[in-house]
Amino acid sequence: MNGTDNALMAQVSNGEVAKLAVLFERHHRPLFRYFVSMNRNRELSEDLVQDVFFRMLRYRASYDPAQSFTAWMYQIARNASLDQAQKRKAEVVGIDEREDRRMEPVSSAPGPEESAAKSQDLALLRRALDRLPADKRELLVLSRFQNIRYEQIAEILGCEVGTVKVRVFRAMRALEQAYLAVTEEGRPDMNRDAANGN
Amino acid sequence: MNCEETKLLLAEYWSESLGDEQELAFETHIAQCDACRSEAERLGAMWKSLALIPGSSKDFEPGPGMRTRFYETLGAYRQGLESAPRRGFRERILALWPKQPAWQMAAGFALLVMGVGIGYAVRPELQGRWEAPNSELAQLRGEVSGMRQMVALSLMQQQSAGERLRGVSYAVQAPATDTQVLSALLTTVNQDDSVGVRLYAVDALHKFGASPVTREAVVQSIRKQQTPLVQIALIDLLVDWKDKSAAPELAALASNESIDSAVRQHAKWAIGKLQQ
Repeated sequence: MNGTDNALMAQVSNGEVAKLAVLFERHHRPLFRYFVSMNRNRELSEDLVQDVFFRMLRYRASYDPAQSFTAWMYQIARNASLDQAQKRKAEVVGIDEREDRRMEPVSSAPGPEESAAKSQDLALLRRALDRLPADKRELLVLSRFQNIRYEQIAEILGCEVGTVKVRVFRAMRALEQAYLAVTEEGRPDMNRDAANGN
Repeated sequence: MNCEETKLLLAEYWSESLGDEQELAFETHIAQCDACRSEAERLGAMWKSLALIPGSSKDFEPGPGMRTRFYETLGAYRQGLESAPRRGFRERILALWPKQPAWQMAAGFALLVMGVGIGYAVRPELQGRWEAPNSELAQLRGEVSGMRQMVALSLMQQQSAGERLRGVSYAVQAPATDTQVLSALLTTVNQDDSVGVRLYAVDALHKFGASPVTREAVVQSIRKQQTPLVQIALIDLLVDWKDKSAAPELAALASNESIDSAVRQHAKWAIGKLQQ
């Protein structure tokens, strides 16, 4: 698919701008999920997706078909995200709990108790992920949420593949620490709730 | 494999991208090392859970307004492009200048060699001695030609169709005896992804003229091509070469049912044209 993406973008670059519609249809959803995973803000993420595709039109002449289209797109996405963060004078947008609830996936767990426990675990994991520094969170979003290969992540971030693998391992370790921390913080509330008979 | 090496492979282990040998060595190690096994399992479980958390779900969709906004933007951009004034002569000349530094250097060097050659040729003391053999001038001409050949051959290997087109335009300027350029053009005609580049390469073949080798290569190419446009251009090439000996090959093409009917008809027309 990437070969075709590269060829399409080369055509856009050569003036066939209508071909960008095909690339939009293929990539706007994963790109939207990438932004939402990074900033937890649906409206802002939609604006950023628009911005990325507009930048592709604007800078289409700079596209080098030898480079992976996906890597190029995520490089633009990162720049758009950084510019937006600078405008808002805040790198990480706060967690919106209502957004969290709206983004709950449909669960296929067998029982309500198990489902609730699993849902709580996932909410804690989400909170732990949000606490990671942006560079570590981004690595996990790209590799795990977006399923981008380590080779392409290396191209996006401008580093060696080996470095990406080591960073993913470190990010997972940091996530484990953050998860343990949010779990510990949750305990006093649970104990207090239990003592109040709730 | 030691503990440190195992940690370096964890990311690939989770994403199931380890090679067979590495996976075997990895699993052998974690079977023997409690600390590594525990870490691989703990973090591995977390890695799996990551795919389930809100926000990573594929069920999560952007609003319908996003698509509308994109198409409005694209439409406005296209309209803007169409109504923009055409580029002037200067801009078009500047657009021919290569974008990559390596080609800029090559073009700069070629221009320098040409400049020196022209300057040398028109210097006053040479006036009236044009007929006299001049080995240095011939050498410079040879260098320019060699440079042009090198640029043509290299550009035709590029990923960008625009660069390859530029390569073909250099190939047109190569001497008709340059077999390397001829071979590169035939390869482009047979293998290039872009129909536009292939058609341009067919045009560039005109100057090389018919020979048993080129004729055979062109006929072979007609059989291989998937695009009738290119097949027809190749038949026109045989007609332009006025190569009557191509008639039997064209007759074979005209009766080949596996070839597009428009191409077969064109082959019949070409036979008639060659017999005139």
